[in-house]
Amino acid sequence: MQSLVKLYSATASYAASAHRTLGQSLAWLCALMVLLTAGIVIVRALSGVNSIAAQELVTYFHATLIMLACTYTLTEHGHVRVDIFYRRFSARAKAWVDLAGNLLFLLPLGITICAISWDFVMASWGLKEGSADAGGLAAVYWLKTLLLLNGAMLALYALSDSLQQLATLTPHMAASGEN
Amino acid sequence: MMEWIPFLLFACVCAALMLGYPVAFTLAGVSLWFAGIGIITGHFDPSQLFYISERLFGVYTKETLIAVPLFVLMGVMLERTKLAEELLDNMAKACGRLPAGLGLSVVVVGALLAASTGIVGATVVTMGLMSLPTMLRRGYCPALATGTICATGTLGQIIPPSIALVLLGDILSNAYQQAQLAQGIFNAAPVSVGDLFMGAVVPGLLLVSLYIVYLLAIGVFKPKLAPKVEDCGKTQGLWLSVLPPVLLIVLVLGSIISGAATPTEAAGVGALAATLLALFKKQLTFAIARDVVRSTTKITCMVFTILLGASIFSLVFIGYGGKEVIESFFAQLPGGAFSAMLIVMLVIFLLGFILDFIEITFVVVPLVGPALLMMGLDPIWLGVMIALNLQTSFLTPPFGFALFYLRGVAPKEVATSAIYRGVVPFIAIQLLVLVLLALKPELVTWLPSLLSHG
Repeated sequence: MQSLVKLYSATASYAASAHRTLGQSLAWLCALMVLLTAGIVIVRALSGVNSIAAQELVTYFHATLIMLACTYTLTEHGHVRVDIFYRRFSARAKAWVDLAGNLLFLLPLGITICAISWDFVMASWGLKEGSADAGGLAAVYWLKTLLLLNGAMLALYALSDSLQQLATLTPHMAASGEN
Repeated sequence: MMEWIPFLLFACVCAALMLGYPVAFTLAGVSLWFAGIGIITGHFDPSQLFYISERLFGVYTKETLIAVPLFVLMGVMLERTKLAEELLDNMAKACGRLPAGLGLSVVVVGALLAASTGIVGATVVTMGLMSLPTMLRRGYCPALATGTICATGTLGQIIPPSIALVLLGDILSNAYQQAQLAQGIFNAAPVSVGDLFMGAVVPGLLLVSLYIVYLLAIGVFKPKLAPKVEDCGKTQGLWLSVLPPVLLIVLVLGSIISGAATPTEAAGVGALAATLLALFKKQLTFAIARDVVRSTTKITCMVFTILLGASIFSLVFIGYGGKEVIESFFAQLPGGAFSAMLIVMLVIFLLGFILDFIEITFVVVPLVGPALLMMGLDPIWLGVMIALNLQTSFLTPPFGFALFYLRGVAPKEVATSAIYRGVVPFIAIQLLVLVLLALKPELVTWLPSLLSHG
């Protein structure tokens, strides 16, 4: 039983650190977005040139950040909770809430995003969809594909974090089972 | 028979939120269960769900919303590089000899830093950590000190450029478009984030002035509650520390008003300016830069994930006919637009106890907005009223967000009841301004109309 708990806990922490590493690397996109946006304004003010490709690149960075760093925010507990009661709960009660939320809310959400986005993304690939504007980037179909990754990452996180919550809950179960 | 389902959905979401699982996923999860059960029993059209992908992708790539990470980065940069702390320090020295001088400097710095993260918690915590210990050490009455900090901490919601107004502007412009289309008007002037910024300027300044008047009155008539600081030392470099934040706000607002840049571009320029300022002050190390982009990422993802949850919620709510139910409810209401507005304001005020600005903006405003706007209310006025109302809600005991956050960083000697007593006068000021704006909508609409005609 103990080794199973360790396995659960280790799997969960490997998964969490993978999400975290990706998110922390992507975080630098924020800095690039600032530089690009300010650069666009400055170049336009000086030379009157307006680059649609540069503007779209900012949008791509922004959308990539949101879709792929969402689980990073989860690992850092950055998503808002209504914690009027939650913060007074015992560690065990918190683990139950998180376990139930992972399996009942987050997992179905991740699966739903994947399932319903499949046709949406495939249609875009079929067209090799590019920008609606002339001079824009020709990679809308790649950006849309991230929706599938977004859904998959949320579902995977729901599963791995549930293992963590189970590990938190298990010692108590074992103890009460032996008595 | 079916018309109660949207309300059951809303009630279930509220109940589930109380458990404490992240708001975004609770919103989405409960809504998906409702949709799933509806599909099985034949009460919900499954094709509705397929709009989700398009909706989400549209939200993630929307130009106006790119302002969010840029403004967040600007705010986090100002906060992490101690520029705010230096400003407060200098202001306190400069105002020390005035009645309630330290309190005044807290209000002024809070108003200047309104260009902060726009998330209630961050501003209150920062202001609380920076100024509460000093105020208490200088003999300020704990109730007055905590009340001042809570009230100024929430100013960031209403004083432009604020993220709350960016989000509200986006939602309201959609709602306004829907309301116009429903009335057969196809070429109405759109509402922009810039309009909302302009509309919030006069009410924001009014609020700050009233805070200042209140503190001055305390300083003059009850100096024991807010003693003057005698040994304030030299005020070297006051202008050097006041000027940058003022210039930053002027730069951002100025480029929006003059039409030189969209709010998103102005946010980018503002963020770059804040970064250069930090660099110039030799505050920007690699570790701090890393910290800033990581915080920005977390806050941005948090905001957009709530938008994801709220999008799915409103899709299911509308799929069950919720919109028609709300519209017919408003239509039957005696008293027309006035009572509809009053009810919506009350509901939003109460929701402010459990939900943050972002959630309410995304969940409630899209549902009630079009119905209210169809009754002929001005969209900019509506936006500013909602923002001000929420700001008041965050201050109101026992559930106001700002109070929780300040409690978290206040020393143990400060009683919770002192915090509650301290905010009461500020709540009175908020209500006064709300009533003023309700009676004189021109206070909001004057500046935007002046600029659009000029």
